[in-house]
Amino acid sequence: MFQIDLTSRKPIYEQVMDKFKQLIIKEILSADEKIPSVRELATQLTINPNTIQKSYRELERQGYIYSVRGRGNFVSNKIKKVDEEKLNKLKQQVQNSLSELIYLGIEKEELIELIEKTYAMIKGGSRDD
Amino acid sequence: MIEVKKLSKSFQKHQVLKDVDLTVKKGSIYGLIGANGSGKTTLIKHLMGIYKQDAGEVFINNEKVFENNDIKKSIGYIPDELYYFPMYSMKNMASFYKKIYPNWNEERYINMVHTFELDENRRINKLSKGMQRQVAFILTLSTMPEVMILDEPIDGLDPLMRKKVWKYIVEDVAERDVSVLISSHNLKELESICDYVGILNRGQMLIERDLDELKSDVHKIQVVYKTEIPEEITKDVNVLHQEKRGTVYLFIVKGEQKEIVSKFNKYNPMILDILPLTLEEIFIYELGGVGYEIQNVIF
Repeated sequence: MFQIDLTSRKPIYEQVMDKFKQLIIKEILSADEKIPSVRELATQLTINPNTIQKSYRELERQGYIYSVRGRGNFVSNKIKKVDEEKLNKLKQQVQNSLSELIYLGIEKEELIELIEKTYAMIKGGSRDD
Repeated sequence: MIEVKKLSKSFQKHQVLKDVDLTVKKGSIYGLIGANGSGKTTLIKHLMGIYKQDAGEVFINNEKVFENNDIKKSIGYIPDELYYFPMYSMKNMASFYKKIYPNWNEERYINMVHTFELDENRRINKLSKGMQRQVAFILTLSTMPEVMILDEPIDGLDPLMRKKVWKYIVEDVAERDVSVLISSHNLKELESICDYVGILNRGQMLIERDLDELKSDVHKIQVVYKTEIPEEITKDVNVLHQEKRGTVYLFIVKGEQKEIVSKFNKYNPMILDILPLTLEEIFIYELGGVGYEIQNVIF
């Protein structure tokens, strides 16, 4: 399903969460699709089941997935509510990178083009269907 | 579940363990770390009822361990130094285990011999050190233990074998809620597999905590200020370690991340990077705090 980088300083449960968010936002996992059980994923990735459990709990709290007792975890069908904290952090990151690019002499048009290209790359697929 | 309460042990005049508390919850993988000679193996031998404590108590699944054969049947133990009967092959060893452990799982045994590609009929003492470790794993895991106690289990195994071994352990934890205690010096591997750690220092439990919590409590901060570093900052935050490389200051700081960042930001840094620590770094800096010499450790 995905790989975890064990050499990264980022905690494993966060890595697992990020991967799922990516898969959900890119619609590789669609709404109401079942995601692997804690056991399945733990054995598949050779990761402590408690760590996976923690990621799922947090994903559920943030509204990316929901759990059905006895049946497992599913992708939420209303994922408009991205958590504010993450949003602000990302915006800050983008701002930092943008200012660096501006210092390096990149023109405004080029920046806009870059944004449009990235946007099209991510969202482009869904426009066709 | 493993529970140790106020365990103390001396050999002659030398006190090895002093008031050690330890709890491994059901379904948890617990990493026991500590410098050489800090008492890890002695502690583990108490968990197995090999040593009798001077004071304190050891419970496994709520029962006292010492001379309790019934509870020992449900414990899988891999000691730091393996012992096999002379002249025995793995097959002989397996039939011995079968008589002792009531939950022996023949199907799993055959399956594992197959995955590890070992020759059952060769004399174990003729096998290489790493292969002898593999035999220990096969035999121990085939007893379907409820509690696993592993004393430096992966040392001497090649990367592929380690991966196989971890896979089996994770599977057992996921499917049967096995409690696992592992001691090791391979902190990178422990970090990726454990959810709880205990750091033993000179016979005392220095820290016992959830690994993610522990990691979110200590931070590595690289910071550059236009002028000299403001004196007050070191008083504002709990600094474990501090270093200067050129104009870059390196701090190891304990506390809440948000709070720390806001304190550093107060003095308008030119650069401020905050990184989570690795278990290896936590180990070194925490021990540094209790008088270990760490100046010469290079990162």
